[in-house]
Amino acid sequence: MSNEAATATTTAEAVPAAEPLPHGLGASLPAADSRAKTEGTFPYAADLWAEGLLWAAVLRSPHPHARIVSIDTSHAREMPGVRAVVTHEDVPGSPLHGRGKADRPVFASDVVRHHGESIAAVAADHPDTARMAAAAVIVEYEVLDPVTDPEQAFEAEPLHPDGNLIRHIPLRHGDPDAAGEVVVEGLYRIGRQDPAPIGAEAGLAVPRPDGGVELYLASTDPHTDRDRAAACFGLEPERVKVVVTGVPGATADREDQGFQLPLGLLALKTGCPVKLTATREESFLGHTHRHPTLLRYRHHADAEGKLVKVEAQILLDAGAYADTSAQALAAAVAFACGPYVVPNAFIEGWAVRTNNPPSGHVRGEGAMQVCAAYEAQMDKLAKKLGIEPAEVRLRNVMATGDVLPTGQTVTCPAPVAELLQAVRDFPLPKLPKDAPEDEWLLPGGPEGAGEPGAVRRGVGYGLGMVHMLGAEGADEVSTATVKVQDGVATVLCAAVETGQGFTTLARQIVQETLGIDEVHVAPVDTDQPPAGAGCRGRHTWVSGGAVERAAKMVRTQLLQPLAHKFGMSTELLQITDGKITSYDGVLSTTVTEALDGKELWATAQCRPHPTEPLDGAGQGDAFVGLAFCAIRAVVDVDIEIGSVRVVELAVAQDVGRVLNPTQLAARIEAGVTQGVGIALTENLRTPRGVIRHPDLTGYALPTALDAPDIRIVKLVEERDVVAPFGAKAVSAVPVVASPAAIASAVRAATGRPVNRLPIRPQAAVVTGQ
Amino acid sequence: MPPSGPPSSGPAKMCQSCHVRPVGTYRTATQAGPGGQREGAAGLTTHAPQAAQAVTLPATLDEAVAALTAMPAAVPVAGGTDLMTAVNSGQLRPAALVGLGRISEIRGWQYQDGHALLGAGLTHARMGRPDFAALIPALAAASRAAGPPHIRNAGTLGGNIATAAPTGDALPVLAALEATLIIAGPGGARREIPVSHLLAGVELLRAGELIGYVRVPLLHAPQVFLKATGRTGPGRAVASVALVLDPARRGVRCAVGAIAPMPLRPLEAEQWVAQLIDWDNNRAIVPEALTAFGEYVAAACIPDAPPAEDGSVPQLPPAVLHLRRTVAALARRALGRALS
Repeated sequence: MSNEAATATTTAEAVPAAEPLPHGLGASLPAADSRAKTEGTFPYAADLWAEGLLWAAVLRSPHPHARIVSIDTSHAREMPGVRAVVTHEDVPGSPLHGRGKADRPVFASDVVRHHGESIAAVAADHPDTARMAAAAVIVEYEVLDPVTDPEQAFEAEPLHPDGNLIRHIPLRHGDPDAAGEVVVEGLYRIGRQDPAPIGAEAGLAVPRPDGGVELYLASTDPHTDRDRAAACFGLEPERVKVVVTGVPGATADREDQGFQLPLGLLALKTGCPVKLTATREESFLGHTHRHPTLLRYRHHADAEGKLVKVEAQILLDAGAYADTSAQALAAAVAFACGPYVVPNAFIEGWAVRTNNPPSGHVRGEGAMQVCAAYEAQMDKLAKKLGIEPAEVRLRNVMATGDVLPTGQTVTCPAPVAELLQAVRDFPLPKLPKDAPEDEWLLPGGPEGAGEPGAVRRGVGYGLGMVHMLGAEGADEVSTATVKVQDGVATVLCAAVETGQGFTTLARQIVQETLGIDEVHVAPVDTDQPPAGAGCRGRHTWVSGGAVERAAKMVRTQLLQPLAHKFGMSTELLQITDGKITSYDGVLSTTVTEALDGKELWATAQCRPHPTEPLDGAGQGDAFVGLAFCAIRAVVDVDIEIGSVRVVELAVAQDVGRVLNPTQLAARIEAGVTQGVGIALTENLRTPRGVIRHPDLTGYALPTALDAPDIRIVKLVEERDVVAPFGAKAVSAVPVVASPAAIASAVRAATGRPVNRLPIRPQAAVVTGQ
Repeated sequence: MPPSGPPSSGPAKMCQSCHVRPVGTYRTATQAGPGGQREGAAGLTTHAPQAAQAVTLPATLDEAVAALTAMPAAVPVAGGTDLMTAVNSGQLRPAALVGLGRISEIRGWQYQDGHALLGAGLTHARMGRPDFAALIPALAAASRAAGPPHIRNAGTLGGNIATAAPTGDALPVLAALEATLIIAGPGGARREIPVSHLLAGVELLRAGELIGYVRVPLLHAPQVFLKATGRTGPGRAVASVALVLDPARRGVRCAVGAIAPMPLRPLEAEQWVAQLIDWDNNRAIVPEALTAFGEYVAAACIPDAPPAEDGSVPQLPPAVLHLRRTVAALARRALGRALS
């Protein structure tokens, strides 16, 4: 808090007489913590310290599938400096935990089901000692054959008492006998993306005098993490407190409970604060990944290119534990046809258990994998019919009032055609031929091997859609409190700022509603009422909505006495720049005067309209709202070596309403760049279930040179009437559409099918010319 | 346990920079934190330094050799870009370090009868600059491609050789240049070994020895280094080709990196293509020869699988075929650029 306050003051002092700082909704309010983050003084979870703390280390399984014969911790316990060793025998409460379903052991007891599963944890007085002690725990394994091919999971022996099938959705919509004049088929594979947060997992557990424990974590869903931790510790939720520290990057459920729980257990056992900072390798082994997916598609269309029927089979590799795979599968099946009107759809989706690392929520999950496949199918259809790829898409796009294959009518704005036309008509980037040749940035990069004669340019399109908020009946509620005192407003809301900009948005909302410029957002802990997980645009919608309602209640409390005194309704009074004026200008006072030393508090909740689970045929109104985006990719491909450089991505997005233009652009740019990673380089390879190269050399993230020019061509502001402020989620949908657009562009440049992401160089090579 | 570090300013100081309330109020343990507590949140590292670690910082090559001889368990460290990764991941726990960063004699270069004597402590960043590029263009190009700026600022030529990673970018260039290493040994001894001997393990560094200098011929002719990577930004080479022309001896020398544990020299392809070049006429060559050279190099470096018992030649896996195609394209482009 001190940092944020200090930054705010210095900024205010630095520009005393200049233009007023941007405030309110629609302004590009800068983030309060941006300065501390830029200067490197912003404290993240790895920076925390407590006097006399111990260091933890977790022993992880080197095998993807093995039976544990014995665990001998005696050597580790006897090492000097070691204070405690915990295994499955030391878990006082529930031995299982898990996001979607409690099917994952805190520590493996009899079987390990994936490479990197936690087996024991050590607390020692030095991190090196802790690591050495963890390595000194002797585990005898009986190595079993891993099931790593999801197609074999159906037939394989159950890997878990819950069985290998995590969810099956057989979606049936329309006439199964419908057939089109043109049929295109394809088989597609999507690799395993790691969220690879810039800061690896870290945490500090501090025992409380009452026998409880406080966990200082970079959690994105503190209340759920607390409840699960309390269940495993055998404590009431009130005696476990999660304090959210600075979050170093979260494009997924960033935290790995497999280390939060050992941390708390060790603190409870030793009575000392315990800290753990994961190495990059542990980070790759610990947290969940994007679902590797196998998709088989058949599209039927008439001679004009109008879609008649889509048949698809979607197989999600959930890894060893269920996590949120059931939700990812629902999104994959529901959006399997994309933002196109498809009268008849037959989609079978499965999420199956394997001995691969667990998959979970990474933004755009489910929707991203199917987007790559259905857009490839649209390209095939265009090629077969001899129609322009953009044109065949335009003939099929969805609009408000159309029906999804789940039977749900699209009631929110769906300006898909407008988005596609905007990116299609945007001028193409120029060829670099007029610039000096040594300034060209060819595929392979500067000092690379690129040769202009071997480079081909391609243009491709991707149309993506995602749902906002949790689906299928999830209770998406958030609570916020707004306090006003001495002309300063404070927001208390357990919505975690992950870098997505929630605190900035909360300040804007309060500025807009109360006319008070100085707004602080309190740090988050679980003593506040829950606000839920930060994903799928939840916080803009529900937490933003709750903040607005609370601010409006404070406004009424503030203005009611004045309005009463002057015999007018509160609507006739307005607050700007800390001054209250009436519509006729008779009344003019300041907020500070009106407060008269009082403190005003109000708490409000926001709960969107309920949804229902998909039924046995995959039908149901499962989603609260949808967001769309169109991306046109321009790529250069070195057709001899197969290296690809994305030159430009033109984005048109359905955003509902722009609340903060700078922040919005940053979210789109970040999402698109993550998509470039999926399309070209990011694939966590796990031959026989073992993660190869769990480091940032082997797992190549996009660098500044890989990030293309990102042109935000159009932001369609058609307000979604059911959403607070009419705004839609913006972060996930560019992740969904950009890989499909890049693959489409590589297809156009090379004529190769490109049916696998990330695109391997050998798939982008043109031979025998 | 290790004594604590510099006088502790106490955890209260730490917590001033935390936006959570001070966690130090819970005095549940009495012993001091190991490794000492340093000021500022940013000063906290995951891997607290081992207090007992000895670090020597010699000022000359002979002092460094003496320090290594005196403590055989010590590990020399120059840029540390490879060594510290191993230390941080826990794979290496050096008992002591001999830092080579203060040896000014190996951080520059000098000229010696038609050769350049490069100090092993030259950083990639230094070698990438235009004055160096005018001397040994291929080594400069390899240095510029050797990683992101912070790696190039720290990583050194000697470190690249000593690590001998298959993807070391300087290695194919040194192999193509037929560079010689000057090894400093105990008592001021100096011996020379060809770089390929060290990389192939024919000759090894003995205890207490350090790579002091690298002698490279100055050829005054075009040189090319080309590298194929997985992304546009800096990345490890999938394959790289270094090609240098030696007009005085009318030779072409080429080395292929990253596809084998050490750089490969396609000697027959070099000799074959050298005869096809019209050295007196602007080094002209027919375009078909470029393509043939590329394929010759690729086939020499990535040979076909040996024929099976029934005489059929098994197909190479697609990934290997692609690697061969990549090497062929790189070699063809490299020769084309060198002769253009």
